Amino acid sequence: MKRTCLAALIVILCFVSLEATSSGQSTATYAPENLVGAHRVELAPIQVASLKEASAEEEEAEPIGSLGETVPDPLEPLNRVFFEFNDRLYFWVLKPVATGYKTVVPEEVRVCTRNFFHNLAFPVRFVNNLFQGKFFGAFEETCGFLVNSVIGLGGLADIATAVDLKRHEEDMGQTLAVHGAGPAFYINWPFLGPSTLRDTIGTAGDIFLDPLTYLGDYWYAPYSRGLNVVNETSLRIGDYESLKKAALDPYVALRDAYYQNRLSKIKE
Amino acid sequence: MRRKGWIGITLLALWAVCGFDPVWAGVPTEKVKETTDKILAIVSDPALKDPAKEAQRRECIRKAVDELCDWEEMSRRSMGRHWAQRSEQEKKEFVRLFGQLLERTYIDKVESYSGEKVNYLGERVDGDYAEVEVKIVTKKNTEILVLYKLRARDQKWWVYDMVIEGVSLVNNYRTQFTDILAKSSFEGLMKKLREKTAE
Repeated sequence: MKRTCLAALIVILCFVSLEATSSGQSTATYAPENLVGAHRVELAPIQVASLKEASAEEEEAEPIGSLGETVPDPLEPLNRVFFEFNDRLYFWVLKPVATGYKTVVPEEVRVCTRNFFHNLAFPVRFVNNLFQGKFFGAFEETCGFLVNSVIGLGGLADIATAVDLKRHEEDMGQTLAVHGAGPAFYINWPFLGPSTLRDTIGTAGDIFLDPLTYLGDYWYAPYSRGLNVVNETSLRIGDYESLKKAALDPYVALRDAYYQNRLSKIKE
Repeated sequence: MRRKGWIGITLLALWAVCGFDPVWAGVPTEKVKETTDKILAIVSDPALKDPAKEAQRRECIRKAVDELCDWEEMSRRSMGRHWAQRSEQEKKEFVRLFGQLLERTYIDKVESYSGEKVNYLGERVDGDYAEVEVKIVTKKNTEILVLYKLRARDQKWWVYDMVIEGVSLVNNYRTQFTDILAKSSFEGLMKKLREKTAE
């Protein structure tokens, strides 16, 4: 019995390493031949479009035109109130708590905690990959989940990334977008932060796919979610501060960053 | 046998001509890599780690970044259609302040780097334009995708935009500038920029 398990493990490992080498995206240091790899070919259509756009703008008197897409924001006054609220929530509550947590818990443990929660949320990614018809993504996510759960001690160690299994971070907001749903409008939720109407509906859907929701007792879910948030914040202290420091209008900067990031994720 | 030798020599000559002549601008990736390596060396230089040497360290990074980024082009693109309406004087002042802000933001960001790995994923060149794709892997097991957009000017490649995780710096500032210009004026925008850089 033990031997069969071991054999199965070796098979999985071999497969994973084969997969990693054949995926074409080598993480080796810079070498010219990497530049003409499969990755580049795969990216080519999007890139050509954007480069052409840049040169087209150049010829016109107006240098940039409407290159950037923006999200409608009819609720701006209310959103700004919630933005202020979240800002204070961060500096008065979340950041002090996360800083305290950071001084007590070593970084390695916090990274493991992050890995654990990420691995646990596998059903969300798997289902949304399927819903978007990304069967290879769903397959690679499954491999990653199995490898991390079995060899990575229940997801504490992220072996999948180490062996070059790519992540396919799909959520229901993206699934809705792929099937033609527009963002509708921007919402900056209190506590939860930037979203759109579409992504809010998506997030609500994802909760049903998240194993944390079904974790035994009624109280486990909020506690574990709280831990996830504090842990994540402890690894990102400074990010929000630098966004604020660089922005002339932090509210608009955050809204635009959120929206641009979502657009690029949908495009992937 | 002799023929083959001749072919070899011809190829070699061709290679020499092609290799030395038309690539005047250098490969965009080389340019990005050169600066990145320089900055990583500064950041990890133990001689400059001392907090007392912060000003010196920042100055070194500033010099390296100035070699990479085209602040004027970034300003122009961030202002979009409003750029043409400004006088030469106003443009100059704007580039100075906005350049300062971008420089500071960039330095703040890279100063916190330690032990990050930078992988060069690929590049695309289309005439005077190029894109270099980079993946930064941090110690905290996060991957950050950065796309450098470059333009050739004065026989060199210059970065005019950085797209970090899909968020274009230029687009982000343009959204802010457009919003501020719609609600107030160019003067109002300059006032905000001055306050920001004085922080």
